[in-house]
Amino acid sequence: MRNSLIRLLLLLPALLLGEAALALGTVAGTAIDNVAEVSYEVGGSEVTEQSNMLTVTVAEILDVVVTLQDPAKPVSPGDASQELLFTVTNTGNGTEAFALVIDSALAGDDFDPTPSTPVSIYIDTDGSGDLSAGDTQYNPGVNDPSLAPDANIDILIVNDIPAAAADGQIGRSLLQATATTGSGAPGTVFAGAGDGGVDAVAGNSSATDSDTGEYVVSSVQLDLVKSAAVVDQFGGNEPVPGASITYTIVVTPAGGGTASTSRFNDLIPANTTYTAGTLRLNGAPLTDAPDADQGQLVTIAGAPAINVNLGDLTAASGPQTVEFTVTID
Amino acid sequence: MNKLMLILLLLPALAIAADGTLQVQTQAQKEVTVVTDEGEEQTRLVPVTTVVPGDEVIYTITFTNVGDQVAQAITITDPVPAEMRYIDGTAFSAGAELQFSVDGGDSWGVAEELIVSDAEGKPRPAQASDYTHIRWVMRHPIKPGQRGYARFKAALR
Repeated sequence: MRNSLIRLLLLLPALLLGEAALALGTVAGTAIDNVAEVSYEVGGSEVTEQSNMLTVTVAEILDVVVTLQDPAKPVSPGDASQELLFTVTNTGNGTEAFALVIDSALAGDDFDPTPSTPVSIYIDTDGSGDLSAGDTQYNPGVNDPSLAPDANIDILIVNDIPAAAADGQIGRSLLQATATTGSGAPGTVFAGAGDGGVDAVAGNSSATDSDTGEYVVSSVQLDLVKSAAVVDQFGGNEPVPGASITYTIVVTPAGGGTASTSRFNDLIPANTTYTAGTLRLNGAPLTDAPDADQGQLVTIAGAPAINVNLGDLTAASGPQTVEFTVTID
Repeated sequence: MNKLMLILLLLPALAIAADGTLQVQTQAQKEVTVVTDEGEEQTRLVPVTTVVPGDEVIYTITFTNVGDQVAQAITITDPVPAEMRYIDGTAFSAGAELQFSVDGGDSWGVAEELIVSDAEGKPRPAQASDYTHIRWVMRHPIKPGQRGYARFKAALR
């Protein structure tokens, strides 16, 4: 008797409901059934009773997270169509469309970027992370991105940088995403407005979120001065076959801002051969191999070249001196 | 008058025939805090029909002896819905021994005895969130007209 009772329990619909998509909570519209059983003895015989079937339905919770993907973006005064990349994630438990808004008139920065016209929000359709021909213009109310629970989409906001922005100044711009079903204080109920007609409820995000990116005006310039010293095998300075030429390149950062991850490349001149082990940065030898140090021999468009990673340079970094030696063939 | 009496007397008999000696009713409720007119906070149970992830639901099983004989050896069994996580220590019934199952009701034990396999297949003590079923084994019979209840709390995953 007890075994058959257990078998009955195992057949209950509540146990058969799918476990899919529980990452962020049970999916909106799920019906959760429950039937209790009581067994007992009366008058010497064993009896089993089932309760009513009790059903509670999972309402749709409206939640969203917006996350900036770019570090501060270096720009120049007057630059047009400078993008910032964000990710919008549906952290609710139903499929939801989100309205997107850009705001560049923020307090606490040095200048206001100008949202580009006619379109300042793009869906990064091609996944490149920057504004490109494959991206989709966002049209409010027309192509609000619809996201399944836990799904996300990359969004670009695009601003023009005012010509008057000065060196080193920061301008901020934000992307806001809001559930189209509705938003409001956590717990706000939108009766019948959720997936499949269940109630929708604003979650902890109030069904809206934003994140802010920033542009940094950087007019840093790298001035290059290259010089060459010839030493021939006869003790003179004649550029004859067999003579060596040592090139010295001085890279001097000037102006404000940061030149991020600067690299210096120089092709080995035609009719010369690089002399192994002669690459130096600020007097310190660098190996020719692509390893932990900052220098290596590379091939650019089929031609040999030296490559030195100078890193982030500011005016305070001072001049950077790269040296290498070749032999005239 | 006589006719009316007869009908009234027949009604309980019909109910017994349909529902047996114990009638079982399950309900789902939520705890809400309300502020009374006197400004005091009171916790009340209100019926729920919809829940959101994280909500705690109180399941209450009420069993009423509507027959004319004593019901003995009463056992109440309720599955924890798959979408729900049983909250440790919330199963309650006066005068009952609690048992739990972690395998869909195939085997039963008191909380300390239960073992489940972890992700690597190694056995570990079961946690409240592993329970699939709850059973109340009542120590006392229920006389005609008496009522008992069993209750537990679970949170929507």
